[in-house]
Amino acid sequence: MRSLAFLIALAITFPHRAHAATCDTLPNPVYLQVGDTQLNLMKRLGRALRDNTPKPITLVFLTSGSCSNIAAIYTPVVIKAATSLQYVPSVAEDATWTPSSATLTCTLAGDVVPDIANSVLFNSACTSSPPPATVNLTQGPAQGYVMAVPTASSQTAITFEEAYFVFGFGAAGMIAPWIDEAQMYIRTITKGTLLAWAANITVPAAKWKGVMLDASQSVVTGVATGPTSAIGILGAEVYDANRATMKALAYRAKGQYFAYYPDSSSSSRDKKNIRDGHYTVWSPTIWMDSVDGTGAPVKPDARYVIDLIAGKTVTPPQNFGMIDIIAAVGLVPDCAMNVNRSFEGGPLSLYRPAESCTCKFESLVDTSSCATCTTSCTTGVCRNGFCEDH
Amino acid sequence: MMPRSFFTVLPLVFAAACGENGNHGDTPKDAPAPQIDAGAPDASCFTDPHTYNEIINACTTAVKVYKDSHPPLLNADGSLPPLP
Repeated sequence: MRSLAFLIALAITFPHRAHAATCDTLPNPVYLQVGDTQLNLMKRLGRALRDNTPKPITLVFLTSGSCSNIAAIYTPVVIKAATSLQYVPSVAEDATWTPSSATLTCTLAGDVVPDIANSVLFNSACTSSPPPATVNLTQGPAQGYVMAVPTASSQTAITFEEAYFVFGFGAAGMIAPWIDEAQMYIRTITKGTLLAWAANITVPAAKWKGVMLDASQSVVTGVATGPTSAIGILGAEVYDANRATMKALAYRAKGQYFAYYPDSSSSSRDKKNIRDGHYTVWSPTIWMDSVDGTGAPVKPDARYVIDLIAGKTVTPPQNFGMIDIIAAVGLVPDCAMNVNRSFEGGPLSLYRPAESCTCKFESLVDTSSCATCTTSCTTGVCRNGFCEDH
Repeated sequence: MMPRSFFTVLPLVFAAACGENGNHGDTPKDAPAPQIDAGAPDASCFTDPHTYNEIINACTTAVKVYKDSHPPLLNADGSLPPLP
């Protein structure tokens, strides 16, 4: 069983090598260095952009830790020639490709600085240095983080205090059943998933107990095939793609009366508790690109991609629904958030996005009670086919 | 800003929203695990949240999970000991 799950994980994780073209021969390549929790977003958005007739773009990407990604564009650090990068095919190239299919690979012909770098948490959690004047930061969708256990586990929740002892003390913390450090699957200290949890449970990244793993998929495999004492940390969208093999724990933050799931229940996918502040472990994703001395983007196609991810209007308009893609991968668009924060693990405050998309988002992940519309509404604003309240 | 409280008899998982039974502004403490036939802890929620504490404890229709937790290494005053 364990070996079968491992083989499945390998098949999903590693891209096909059959298409080893040089990356610069792909149509309008934009090079990205992103957190591995963003793989599903890269796949779905990559597919849509390949076939975005008004402006076709190929997302050519590699995954790495958020702190490494920040350094890659701040310093900058080149991606070396001959590196194998991932991309997805257009419909014309492979009509049968789906987001559950493996990515394709291309080989980098020469060194490149990534056009876009991504951090899955506040950059200040990685570095105290402000961004250089040559780098523009854009806040993208919110990403939740979960603690996951095997489906056979009887546990349903973990508290702030328990998490502090489990990951700060290990076995010595005496929080049963999580007392086997070989079954505590965590990430390395440059990874956003670890840093986000570290800020929320006040255990510095360097002090975490457990097995440090480089890839989210390795955490999935460890938890899914582990004993009931296993526990791991994951991005919520990685968990969402692997719900059949594990379950997320509800989390009770410090000072909170109850524990909550990221979603309104263990089986829903509405991210309601992230959106309204009951589930506190989430971060904004940060998308970075280079700008010139006037603040204009060095590569307009890169800014086009970032603006799409951030929910901004782009020119020319894309031929696909961006909120649909964000919702499908388990992220929350900023326009559907009702709380925000200003630093990693910081206190939440009420938030009112400039143009709400809550009705649209809920229609995609749950059911929406909002009125539908085509041009106008009796109350509210007609947007994306729904009467949003503002 | 106005907290509401509710009383429930469900053990562990509370699936209902806050009720209408009186006003209790105090933060509830951990209590022994609720029994199926016993009153659960009186937990307040906030109908018009503004502060962080009110936001994370706002009334909601989402599933609430109660956990009776007493980590052995927790200091007597409820504070956390320093990390090793």
